[in-house]
Amino acid sequence: MRNRRIVFTAAVLLSAPLAVHLSAQWLNYPTPGIPRLPDGKPNLSAPAPKTADGKPDLSGIWLVNGLDAKNIAPNGVEPPLQPWAETLYRQRLLTSGRDRPGTRCLPPGLPLADLVPDGPFKLIQTPGMLVILYETFTTYRQVFTDGRALPKDPNPAWMGYSVGKWEGDTLRIDTEGFNDETWLDADGHPHSESLHVVENFRRKDFGHMELQVVIDDPRAYTSAWTTSKWDFVLLPETELIEFVCNENEKDLKHMVGK
Amino acid sequence: MSPIIVGTIIAVMSTPLPAQWLNYATPGIPRTSDGKPNLSAPAPKTADGKPDLSGIWDANSNRQGLNVDAGFVDAGFYERPSGGPLQPWAAALDKQRREMLLKDDPAARCLPMGPPRQDRREPHKIVQLPGLIVILYEVNTLFRQIFLDGRALPKDPNPTWLGYSVGHWEGDTLVVDTGGFNDQVWIWSGHPHTQALRTVERFRRRDFGHLNLKITIDDPQTYTKPWTLMFDLQLVPDSELLESICNENNTNVPHLIGK
Repeated sequence: MRNRRIVFTAAVLLSAPLAVHLSAQWLNYPTPGIPRLPDGKPNLSAPAPKTADGKPDLSGIWLVNGLDAKNIAPNGVEPPLQPWAETLYRQRLLTSGRDRPGTRCLPPGLPLADLVPDGPFKLIQTPGMLVILYETFTTYRQVFTDGRALPKDPNPAWMGYSVGKWEGDTLRIDTEGFNDETWLDADGHPHSESLHVVENFRRKDFGHMELQVVIDDPRAYTSAWTTSKWDFVLLPETELIEFVCNENEKDLKHMVGK
Repeated sequence: MSPIIVGTIIAVMSTPLPAQWLNYATPGIPRTSDGKPNLSAPAPKTADGKPDLSGIWDANSNRQGLNVDAGFVDAGFYERPSGGPLQPWAAALDKQRREMLLKDDPAARCLPMGPPRQDRREPHKIVQLPGLIVILYEVNTLFRQIFLDGRALPKDPNPTWLGYSVGHWEGDTLVVDTGGFNDQVWIWSGHPHTQALRTVERFRRRDFGHLNLKITIDDPQTYTKPWTLMFDLQLVPDSELLESICNENNTNVPHLIGK
Protein backbone atom coordinates (compact mmCIF):
# COMPACT_ATOMS: atom_id res chain seq x y z
CA MET A 1 0.00 0.00 0.00
CA ARG A 2 1.21 3.46 -0.73
CA ASN A 3 0.14 6.73 0.69
CA ARG A 4 0.66 9.99 -1.09
CA ARG A 5 0.77 11.97 2.13
CA ILE A 6 3.49 9.72 3.51
CA VAL A 7 5.43 10.14 0.29
CA PHE A 8 4.97 13.88 0.54
CA THR A 9 5.94 14.06 4.20
CA ALA A 10 8.94 11.86 3.58
CA ALA A 11 9.90 14.10 0.70
CA VAL A 12 9.90 17.10 2.99
CA LEU A 13 11.89 15.33 5.66
CA LEU A 14 14.34 13.68 3.30
CA SER A 15 14.06 16.06 0.43
CA ALA A 16 17.42 15.54 -1.21
CA PRO A 17 17.55 11.75 -1.56
CA LEU A 18 13.86 11.24 -2.16
CA ALA A 19 13.45 13.98 -4.73
CA VAL A 20 15.32 11.81 -7.19
CA HIS A 21 12.92 8.95 -6.66
CA LEU A 22 9.84 11.10 -7.06
CA SER A 23 10.91 12.29 -10.47
CA ALA A 24 11.71 8.70 -11.28
CA GLN A 25 8.01 7.82 -11.11
CA TRP A 26 6.67 10.64 -13.25
CA LEU A 27 5.47 12.30 -10.05
CA ASN A 28 6.79 15.64 -11.19
CA TYR A 29 6.63 15.31 -14.93
CA PRO A 30 5.26 18.56 -16.47
CA THR A 31 1.69 18.09 -17.69
CA PRO A 32 1.66 19.05 -21.39
CA GLY A 33 -0.77 21.68 -22.66
CA ILE A 34 -1.99 23.23 -19.44
CA PRO A 35 -2.29 27.00 -18.83
CA ARG A 36 0.70 28.47 -17.02
CA LEU A 37 1.62 31.65 -15.21
CA PRO A 38 4.52 33.83 -16.41
CA ASP A 39 6.80 31.99 -13.97
CA GLY A 40 5.89 28.67 -15.61
CA LYS A 41 3.76 27.34 -12.77
CA PRO A 42 0.35 25.85 -13.63
CA ASN A 43 -2.36 28.52 -13.60
CA LEU A 44 -4.99 26.84 -11.47
CA SER A 45 -7.38 29.78 -11.66
CA ALA A 46 -7.49 29.88 -15.48
CA PRO A 47 -10.93 29.13 -16.96
CA ALA A 48 -12.08 25.52 -17.08
CA PRO A 49 -11.25 23.97 -20.46
CA LYS A 50 -13.94 22.89 -22.93
CA THR A 51 -14.19 19.94 -25.26
CA ALA A 52 -14.81 20.34 -29.01
CA ASP A 53 -18.58 20.18 -28.45
CA GLY A 54 -18.45 23.12 -26.02
CA LYS A 55 -18.98 21.11 -22.82
CA PRO A 56 -16.66 21.57 -19.86
CA ASP A 57 -13.74 19.15 -19.97
CA LEU A 58 -13.32 17.58 -16.54
CA SER A 59 -10.17 15.69 -17.52
CA GLY A 60 -7.31 15.78 -15.05
CA ILE A 61 -6.01 14.27 -11.84
CA TRP A 62 -8.22 15.33 -8.92
CA LEU A 63 -7.90 15.02 -5.17
CA VAL A 64 -10.55 15.72 -2.59
CA ASN A 65 -9.50 18.66 -0.46
CA GLY A 66 -10.60 19.53 3.04
CA LEU A 67 -13.38 17.39 4.45
CA ASP A 68 -12.70 13.76 5.14
CA ALA A 69 -15.19 11.07 4.22
CA LYS A 70 -15.84 9.86 7.76
CA ASN A 71 -19.45 11.00 7.60
CA ILE A 72 -20.71 12.32 4.29
CA ALA A 73 -23.82 13.94 5.75
CA PRO A 74 -23.57 17.72 6.18
CA ASN A 75 -22.58 18.89 9.63
CA GLY A 76 -25.37 18.38 12.15
CA VAL A 77 -27.60 16.52 9.71
CA GLU A 78 -28.54 12.93 10.42
CA PRO A 79 -29.56 11.03 7.28
CA PRO A 80 -33.14 9.69 7.59
CA LEU A 81 -32.23 6.07 8.27
CA GLN A 82 -34.80 3.29 8.20
CA PRO A 83 -34.80 1.37 11.50
CA TRP A 84 -32.77 -1.63 10.27
CA ALA A 85 -30.24 0.70 8.68
CA GLU A 86 -30.00 2.75 11.89
CA THR A 87 -29.25 -0.43 13.86
CA LEU A 88 -26.58 -1.49 11.40
CA TYR A 89 -25.04 1.98 11.34
CA ARG A 90 -24.81 2.11 15.17
CA GLN A 91 -23.21 -1.32 15.18
CA ARG A 92 -20.61 -0.22 12.64
CA LEU A 93 -19.78 2.82 14.76
CA LEU A 94 -19.32 0.59 17.81
CA THR A 95 -17.02 -1.77 15.95
CA SER A 96 -14.73 1.09 14.91
CA GLY A 97 -15.14 0.38 11.22
CA ARG A 98 -13.57 -3.05 11.60
CA ASP A 99 -15.79 -4.57 8.92
CA ARG A 100 -15.32 -1.82 6.36
CA PRO A 101 -14.85 -3.56 3.00
CA GLY A 102 -11.70 -1.57 2.25
CA THR A 103 -9.90 -3.25 5.12
CA ARG A 104 -10.27 -6.47 3.14
CA CYS A 105 -9.11 -4.82 -0.06
CA LEU A 106 -12.63 -4.70 -1.44
CA PRO A 107 -13.80 -1.72 -3.51
CA PRO A 108 -15.05 1.33 -1.63
CA GLY A 109 -18.18 1.82 -3.75
CA LEU A 110 -19.76 5.24 -4.21
CA PRO A 111 -19.46 7.98 -3.26
CA LEU A 112 -16.57 6.89 -1.04
CA ALA A 113 -14.30 6.05 -3.98
CA ASP A 114 -14.30 9.72 -5.00
CA LEU A 115 -13.52 10.90 -1.48
CA VAL A 116 -10.52 8.84 -0.37
CA PRO A 117 -8.09 11.16 1.46
CA ASP A 118 -4.77 11.08 -0.39
CA GLY A 119 -6.47 8.94 -3.04
CA PRO A 120 -6.52 10.95 -6.26
CA PHE A 121 -8.34 9.87 -9.39
CA LYS A 122 -7.71 10.68 -13.03
CA LEU A 123 -10.79 11.69 -14.95
CA ILE A 124 -10.58 11.12 -18.71
CA GLN A 125 -13.39 12.60 -20.77
CA THR A 126 -13.93 11.14 -24.24
CA PRO A 127 -16.88 11.51 -26.63
CA GLY A 128 -19.57 9.16 -25.32
CA MET A 129 -17.73 8.00 -22.21
CA LEU A 130 -15.76 9.14 -19.20
CA VAL A 131 -13.25 6.88 -17.54
CA ILE A 132 -12.30 7.45 -13.93
CA LEU A 133 -8.99 5.85 -12.96
CA TYR A 134 -8.81 5.54 -9.19
CA GLU A 135 -5.35 5.40 -7.65
CA THR A 136 -6.80 3.50 -4.68
CA PHE A 137 -6.75 -0.18 -5.70
CA THR A 138 -5.66 0.73 -9.28
CA THR A 139 -9.26 0.30 -10.34
CA TYR A 140 -11.51 2.15 -12.74
CA ARG A 141 -15.05 3.02 -13.54
CA GLN A 142 -16.74 3.88 -16.84
CA VAL A 143 -19.45 6.53 -17.13
CA PHE A 144 -21.36 6.29 -20.40
CA THR A 145 -22.57 9.55 -21.93
CA ASP A 146 -23.71 8.02 -25.23
CA GLY A 147 -27.37 8.17 -24.27
CA ARG A 148 -27.81 4.60 -23.12
CA ALA A 149 -30.21 3.93 -20.25
CA LEU A 150 -29.14 2.35 -16.97
CA PRO A 151 -29.41 -1.44 -17.19
CA LYS A 152 -32.50 -3.09 -15.76
CA ASP A 153 -31.83 -5.59 -12.97
CA PRO A 154 -28.12 -5.99 -13.64
CA ASN A 155 -25.78 -8.25 -11.72
CA PRO A 156 -25.13 -6.23 -8.53
CA ALA A 157 -21.73 -4.59 -8.66
CA TRP A 158 -19.41 -2.93 -6.12
CA MET A 159 -19.08 0.22 -8.23
CA GLY A 160 -22.48 0.04 -9.91
CA TYR A 161 -23.36 1.03 -13.48
CA SER A 162 -23.05 4.69 -14.42
CA VAL A 163 -24.46 7.01 -17.07
CA GLY A 164 -23.82 10.74 -17.29
CA LYS A 165 -25.37 13.81 -18.88
CA TRP A 166 -24.82 17.56 -18.81
CA GLU A 167 -27.11 19.92 -16.96
CA GLY A 168 -25.66 23.28 -17.90
CA ASP A 169 -22.03 23.21 -16.80
CA THR A 170 -22.64 20.37 -14.34
CA LEU A 171 -22.01 16.75 -15.19
CA ARG A 172 -24.70 14.65 -13.57
CA ILE A 173 -23.78 10.99 -13.11
CA ASP A 174 -26.52 8.51 -12.22
CA THR A 175 -25.40 5.17 -10.82
CA GLU A 176 -27.45 2.11 -9.90
CA GLY A 177 -27.01 -1.65 -9.80
CA PHE A 178 -24.94 -1.73 -6.62
CA ASN A 179 -24.54 -4.70 -4.35
CA ASP A 180 -25.32 -4.02 -0.67
CA GLU A 181 -21.77 -4.58 0.59
CA THR A 182 -20.22 -1.14 0.34
CA TRP A 183 -20.40 1.64 2.90
CA LEU A 184 -21.45 5.12 1.81
CA ASP A 185 -18.78 6.65 4.07
CA ALA A 186 -16.06 5.58 6.46
CA ASP A 187 -18.42 5.62 9.45
CA GLY A 188 -20.57 3.06 7.70
CA HIS A 189 -23.84 4.60 6.51
CA PRO A 190 -25.38 1.52 4.93
CA HIS A 191 -27.40 1.02 1.78
CA SER A 192 -29.37 -1.66 -0.02
CA GLU A 193 -29.29 -2.85 -3.61
CA SER A 194 -31.90 -0.15 -4.32
CA LEU A 195 -29.28 2.56 -3.95
CA HIS A 196 -29.31 5.28 -6.58
CA VAL A 197 -26.39 7.73 -6.40
CA VAL A 198 -26.35 11.06 -8.23
CA GLU A 199 -22.96 12.76 -8.46
CA ASN A 200 -22.99 16.38 -9.64
CA PHE A 201 -19.51 17.44 -10.74
CA ARG A 202 -18.80 21.05 -11.68
CA ARG A 203 -15.35 22.27 -12.71
CA LYS A 204 -15.26 25.80 -11.36
CA ASP A 205 -11.98 26.77 -13.02
CA PHE A 206 -8.87 25.06 -14.27
CA GLY A 207 -7.72 23.89 -10.87
CA HIS A 208 -10.93 23.43 -8.90
CA MET A 209 -13.94 21.16 -9.07
CA GLU A 210 -16.84 20.60 -6.73
CA LEU A 211 -19.05 17.60 -6.13
CA GLN A 212 -22.37 17.22 -4.46
CA VAL A 213 -23.99 13.82 -4.10
CA VAL A 214 -27.63 12.80 -3.66
CA ILE A 215 -28.28 9.46 -1.97
CA ASP A 216 -31.60 7.85 -2.83
CA ASP A 217 -32.29 4.44 -1.35
CA PRO A 218 -35.88 4.04 -0.15
CA ARG A 219 -35.14 0.71 1.53
CA ALA A 220 -32.40 2.22 3.71
CA TYR A 221 -33.56 5.86 4.06
CA THR A 222 -37.03 7.34 4.41
CA SER A 223 -36.20 10.06 1.88
CA ALA A 224 -33.45 11.05 -0.50
CA TRP A 225 -30.72 13.19 1.09
CA THR A 226 -27.87 15.38 -0.04
CA THR A 227 -24.30 15.02 1.20
CA SER A 228 -21.82 17.73 2.09
CA LYS A 229 -20.32 19.64 -0.81
CA TRP A 230 -16.84 18.41 -1.66
CA ASP A 231 -14.02 20.46 -3.13
CA PHE A 232 -11.39 18.93 -5.37
CA VAL A 233 -8.06 20.36 -6.44
CA LEU A 234 -6.30 19.54 -9.67
CA LEU A 235 -2.94 17.83 -9.22
CA PRO A 236 -0.81 19.02 -12.13
CA GLU A 237 2.67 17.76 -13.09
CA THR A 238 2.18 14.37 -11.48
CA GLU A 239 0.86 10.91 -12.11
CA LEU A 240 -1.07 8.17 -10.35
CA ILE A 241 0.94 5.60 -8.39
CA GLU A 242 0.26 1.88 -8.54
CA PHE A 243 -1.66 0.72 -5.47
CA VAL A 244 -2.08 -3.03 -4.96
CA CYS A 245 -3.93 -3.53 -1.70
CA ASN A 246 -3.37 -7.29 -1.54
CA GLU A 247 0.39 -6.89 -1.61
CA ASN A 248 1.78 -7.67 1.81
CA GLU A 249 -1.59 -7.05 3.46
CA LYS A 250 -1.10 -7.00 7.23
CA ASP A 251 -4.04 -4.95 8.48
CA LEU A 252 -6.58 -7.64 8.97
CA LYS A 253 -5.15 -9.34 12.02
CA HIS A 254 -4.80 -6.02 13.82
CA MET A 255 -8.46 -5.09 13.53
CA VAL A 256 -10.07 -4.32 16.85
CA GLY A 257 -13.60 -3.44 17.84
CA LYS A 258 -16.47 -5.31 19.43
CA MET B 1 -11.58 -22.89 -12.73
CA SER B 2 -11.81 -25.48 -15.46
CA PRO B 3 -13.21 -24.63 -18.89
CA ILE B 4 -16.11 -26.98 -18.17
CA ILE B 5 -17.06 -25.09 -15.01
CA VAL B 6 -16.70 -21.79 -16.81
CA GLY B 7 -18.91 -23.09 -19.60
CA THR B 8 -21.54 -24.23 -17.14
CA ILE B 9 -21.54 -20.91 -15.32
CA ILE B 10 -21.85 -19.02 -18.58
CA ALA B 11 -24.82 -21.20 -19.53
CA VAL B 12 -26.57 -20.61 -16.21
CA MET B 13 -25.81 -16.90 -16.31
CA SER B 14 -26.92 -16.30 -19.87
CA THR B 15 -30.28 -14.72 -18.97
CA PRO B 16 -29.07 -11.69 -17.02
CA LEU B 17 -26.38 -10.86 -19.57
CA PRO B 18 -28.49 -8.39 -21.61
CA ALA B 19 -29.18 -6.46 -18.42
CA GLN B 20 -25.52 -5.50 -18.12
CA TRP B 21 -24.89 -3.78 -21.44
CA LEU B 22 -23.39 -7.05 -22.63
CA ASN B 23 -25.27 -6.77 -25.89
CA TYR B 24 -25.65 -3.03 -26.18
CA ALA B 25 -24.94 -2.01 -29.77
CA THR B 26 -21.58 -0.25 -30.01
CA PRO B 27 -22.27 3.11 -31.65
CA GLY B 28 -20.41 4.19 -34.78
CA ILE B 29 -18.86 0.90 -35.86
CA PRO B 30 -18.98 -0.39 -39.45
CA ARG B 31 -21.75 -2.90 -40.07
CA THR B 32 -22.64 -5.30 -42.83
CA SER B 33 -25.96 -4.99 -44.68
CA ASP B 34 -27.64 -7.28 -42.12
CA GLY B 35 -26.60 -4.94 -39.28
CA LYS B 36 -23.88 -7.15 -37.86
CA PRO B 37 -20.51 -5.58 -37.03
CA ASN B 38 -18.23 -5.73 -40.05
CA LEU B 39 -15.11 -7.16 -38.48
CA SER B 40 -13.18 -7.19 -41.75
CA ALA B 41 -13.69 -3.48 -42.47
CA PRO B 42 -10.50 -1.41 -42.48
CA ALA B 43 -8.95 -0.48 -39.14
CA PRO B 44 -10.12 2.98 -38.04
CA LYS B 45 -7.74 5.93 -37.75
CA THR B 46 -7.50 8.77 -35.28
CA ALA B 47 -7.50 12.43 -36.36
CA ASP B 48 -3.69 12.38 -36.66
CA GLY B 49 -3.83 9.46 -39.12
CA LYS B 50 -2.58 6.78 -36.72
CA PRO B 51 -4.45 3.51 -36.35
CA ASP B 52 -7.04 3.69 -33.58
CA LEU B 53 -6.74 0.61 -31.41
CA SER B 54 -9.76 1.51 -29.28
CA GLY B 55 -12.19 -1.29 -28.57
CA ILE B 56 -12.75 -4.34 -26.41
CA TRP B 57 -10.33 -7.13 -27.28
CA ASP B 58 -10.18 -10.76 -26.26
CA ALA B 59 -7.79 -13.58 -27.01
CA ASN B 60 -11.01 -15.59 -27.16
CA SER B 61 -9.27 -18.89 -27.56
CA ASN B 62 -7.23 -21.32 -25.55
CA ARG B 63 -4.86 -21.65 -28.49
CA GLN B 64 -3.13 -18.39 -27.72
CA GLY B 65 0.22 -17.32 -26.44
CA LEU B 66 2.58 -18.95 -28.86
CA ASN B 67 6.27 -18.73 -28.28
CA VAL B 68 7.31 -17.88 -31.78
CA ASP B 69 10.96 -18.53 -31.05
CA ALA B 70 10.38 -22.07 -29.86
CA GLY B 71 7.83 -23.14 -32.42
CA PHE B 72 4.08 -23.15 -32.32
CA VAL B 73 3.20 -24.94 -29.14
CA ASP B 74 -0.35 -24.69 -27.86
CA ALA B 75 -0.99 -22.95 -24.60
CA GLY B 76 -3.92 -24.69 -22.99
CA PHE B 77 -6.21 -22.93 -20.56
CA TYR B 78 -3.83 -23.38 -17.66
CA GLU B 79 -0.99 -24.93 -19.59
CA ARG B 80 2.13 -23.17 -20.68
CA PRO B 81 3.61 -22.57 -24.03
CA SER B 82 7.04 -24.08 -24.43
CA GLY B 83 8.35 -21.04 -22.63
CA GLY B 84 11.52 -19.05 -22.73
CA PRO B 85 15.14 -20.10 -22.58
CA LEU B 86 15.52 -20.11 -18.80
CA GLN B 87 18.72 -19.46 -16.88
CA PRO B 88 19.53 -22.38 -14.52
CA TRP B 89 18.15 -20.75 -11.36
CA ALA B 90 14.98 -19.78 -13.20
CA ALA B 91 14.55 -23.27 -14.65
CA ALA B 92 14.86 -24.70 -11.14
CA LEU B 93 12.28 -22.25 -9.78
CA ASP B 94 9.95 -22.90 -12.69
CA LYS B 95 10.23 -26.68 -12.09
CA GLN B 96 9.64 -26.25 -8.39
CA ARG B 97 6.54 -24.12 -9.00
CA ARG B 98 5.11 -26.73 -11.33
CA GLU B 99 5.85 -29.52 -8.84
CA MET B 100 3.94 -27.46 -6.29
CA LEU B 101 1.03 -27.41 -8.76
CA LEU B 102 1.37 -23.63 -9.13
CA LYS B 103 -0.16 -23.12 -5.72
CA ASP B 104 1.87 -19.97 -5.07
CA ASP B 105 0.61 -18.21 -8.18
CA PRO B 106 0.04 -14.58 -7.14
CA ALA B 107 -3.18 -14.59 -9.17
CA ALA B 108 -4.68 -17.12 -6.73
CA ARG B 109 -4.26 -14.47 -4.03
CA CYS B 110 -5.90 -11.78 -6.15
CA LEU B 111 -2.60 -10.12 -6.99
CA PRO B 112 -2.08 -8.72 -10.49
CA MET B 113 -1.01 -11.12 -13.21
CA GLY B 114 1.07 -8.52 -15.01
CA PRO B 115 0.61 -7.44 -18.61
CA PRO B 116 1.90 -10.52 -20.44
CA ARG B 117 -0.80 -12.68 -18.86
CA GLN B 118 -3.50 -10.03 -18.56
CA ASP B 119 -3.29 -9.25 -22.26
CA ARG B 120 -4.19 -12.84 -22.99
CA ARG B 121 -6.97 -13.48 -20.51
CA GLU B 122 -10.40 -11.94 -20.07
CA PRO B 123 -11.44 -9.09 -22.36
CA HIS B 124 -9.82 -5.72 -22.01
CA LYS B 125 -10.76 -2.35 -23.42
CA ILE B 126 -8.20 -0.14 -25.14
CA VAL B 127 -9.03 3.58 -24.91
CA GLN B 128 -6.79 5.57 -27.23
CA LEU B 129 -6.42 9.30 -26.59
CA PRO B 130 -3.97 11.90 -27.84
CA GLY B 131 -0.76 11.21 -25.94
CA LEU B 132 -2.16 8.41 -23.82
CA ILE B 133 -3.56 4.91 -24.14
CA VAL B 134 -5.46 3.38 -21.25
CA ILE B 135 -6.08 -0.34 -21.01
CA LEU B 136 -9.03 -1.30 -18.84
CA TYR B 137 -8.65 -4.95 -17.87
CA GLU B 138 -11.73 -6.95 -16.96
CA VAL B 139 -9.59 -9.27 -14.84
CA ASN B 140 -9.41 -7.75 -11.33
CA THR B 141 -10.84 -4.50 -12.78
CA LEU B 142 -7.30 -3.10 -13.06
CA PHE B 143 -6.07 -0.43 -15.44
CA ARG B 144 -2.77 0.44 -17.03
CA GLN B 145 -1.60 3.64 -18.71
CA ILE B 146 0.71 3.84 -21.74
CA PHE B 147 2.14 7.31 -22.32
CA LEU B 148 2.69 8.48 -25.89
CA ASP B 149 3.59 12.07 -25.05
CA GLY B 150 7.29 11.57 -25.60
CA ARG B 151 8.33 11.02 -21.99
CA ALA B 152 11.10 8.52 -21.30
CA LEU B 153 10.70 5.49 -19.05
CA PRO B 154 11.44 6.45 -15.44
CA LYS B 155 14.91 5.69 -14.09
CA ASP B 156 14.96 3.34 -11.11
CA PRO B 157 11.27 3.74 -10.22
CA ASN B 158 9.48 2.07 -7.36
CA PRO B 159 8.98 -1.52 -8.66
CA THR B 160 5.40 -2.28 -9.64
CA TRP B 161 3.19 -5.20 -10.70
CA LEU B 162 2.10 -3.64 -13.97
CA GLY B 163 5.26 -1.68 -14.77
CA TYR B 164 5.67 1.74 -16.38
CA SER B 165 4.83 1.96 -20.08
CA VAL B 166 5.61 4.34 -22.92
CA GLY B 167 4.61 3.85 -26.53
CA HIS B 168 5.47 5.08 -30.00
CA TRP B 169 4.37 4.31 -33.53
CA GLU B 170 6.49 2.42 -36.04
CA GLY B 171 4.39 2.64 -39.19
CA ASP B 172 1.03 1.09 -38.32
CA THR B 173 2.41 -0.73 -35.28
CA LEU B 174 2.19 0.60 -31.76
CA VAL B 175 5.37 -0.32 -29.90
CA VAL B 176 5.08 -0.25 -26.11
CA ASP B 177 8.15 -0.43 -23.89
CA THR B 178 7.59 -1.39 -20.28
CA GLY B 179 10.02 -1.55 -17.38
CA GLY B 180 10.04 -0.96 -13.65
CA PHE B 181 8.47 -4.30 -12.72
CA ASN B 182 8.76 -5.95 -9.34
CA ASP B 183 9.91 -9.61 -9.36
CA GLN B 184 6.61 -11.08 -8.16
CA VAL B 185 4.67 -11.58 -11.37
CA TRP B 186 4.60 -14.94 -13.12
CA ILE B 187 5.00 -14.38 -16.85
CA TRP B 188 3.39 -17.73 -17.54
CA SER B 189 2.42 -20.32 -15.01
CA GLY B 190 5.71 -20.78 -13.21
CA HIS B 191 7.95 -18.62 -15.40
CA PRO B 192 9.78 -16.14 -13.16
CA HIS B 193 11.48 -12.88 -13.87
CA THR B 194 13.62 -10.31 -12.08
CA GLN B 195 13.32 -6.56 -11.74
CA ALA B 196 15.51 -6.33 -14.84
CA LEU B 197 12.52 -7.39 -16.96
CA ARG B 198 11.70 -5.25 -19.96
CA THR B 199 8.84 -6.06 -22.28
CA VAL B 200 8.18 -4.76 -25.76
CA GLU B 201 4.59 -5.16 -26.94
CA ARG B 202 3.81 -4.66 -30.63
CA PHE B 203 0.14 -4.02 -31.37
CA ARG B 204 -1.04 -4.01 -34.99
CA ARG B 205 -4.72 -3.69 -35.83
CA ARG B 206 -4.99 -5.75 -38.98
CA ASP B 207 -8.54 -4.70 -39.73
CA PHE B 208 -11.56 -3.58 -37.79
CA GLY B 209 -12.00 -6.82 -35.89
CA HIS B 210 -8.46 -8.18 -35.45
CA LEU B 211 -5.43 -7.11 -33.46
CA ASN B 212 -2.07 -8.83 -33.58
CA LEU B 213 0.05 -8.61 -30.47
CA LYS B 214 3.62 -9.78 -30.03
CA ILE B 215 5.26 -9.50 -26.64
CA THR B 216 9.02 -9.78 -26.35
CA ILE B 217 10.28 -10.76 -22.92
CA ASP B 218 13.76 -9.47 -22.23
CA ASP B 219 15.27 -10.26 -18.84
CA PRO B 220 18.91 -11.38 -19.15
CA GLN B 221 19.02 -12.34 -15.48
CA THR B 222 16.24 -14.90 -16.04
CA TYR B 223 16.41 -15.85 -19.72
CA THR B 224 19.44 -16.59 -21.85
CA LYS B 225 17.97 -14.52 -24.69
CA PRO B 226 14.84 -12.48 -25.39
CA TRP B 227 11.81 -14.51 -26.45
CA THR B 228 8.51 -13.61 -27.97
CA LEU B 229 4.88 -14.49 -27.39
CA MET B 230 2.26 -13.96 -30.05
CA PHE B 231 -1.46 -13.35 -29.66
CA ASP B 232 -4.30 -12.91 -32.09
CA LEU B 233 -6.92 -10.76 -30.41
CA GLN B 234 -10.46 -10.36 -31.66
CA LEU B 235 -12.74 -7.37 -31.24
CA VAL B 236 -15.72 -7.93 -28.96
CA PRO B 237 -18.36 -5.59 -30.42
CA ASP B 238 -21.79 -4.79 -28.98
CA SER B 239 -20.69 -5.70 -25.47
CA GLU B 240 -19.13 -4.28 -22.34
CA LEU B 241 -16.65 -5.22 -19.62
CA LEU B 242 -17.91 -6.87 -16.45
CA GLU B 243 -16.82 -5.97 -12.95
CA SER B 244 -14.44 -8.61 -11.60
CA ILE B 245 -13.55 -8.36 -7.92
CA CYS B 246 -11.25 -11.22 -7.05
CA ASN B 247 -11.30 -10.50 -3.33
CA GLU B 248 -15.06 -11.00 -3.18
CA ASN B 249 -15.62 -14.39 -1.63
CA ASN B 250 -12.23 -15.76 -2.70
CA THR B 251 -12.44 -19.29 -1.34
CA ASN B 252 -9.61 -20.62 -3.48
CA VAL B 253 -6.70 -20.25 -1.13
CA PRO B 254 -7.56 -22.97 1.43
CA HIS B 255 -8.10 -25.40 -1.44
CA LEU B 256 -4.75 -24.90 -3.10
CA ILE B 257 -2.77 -28.09 -2.97
CA GLY B 258 0.79 -28.97 -3.82
CA LYS B 259 4.00 -29.64 -1.97
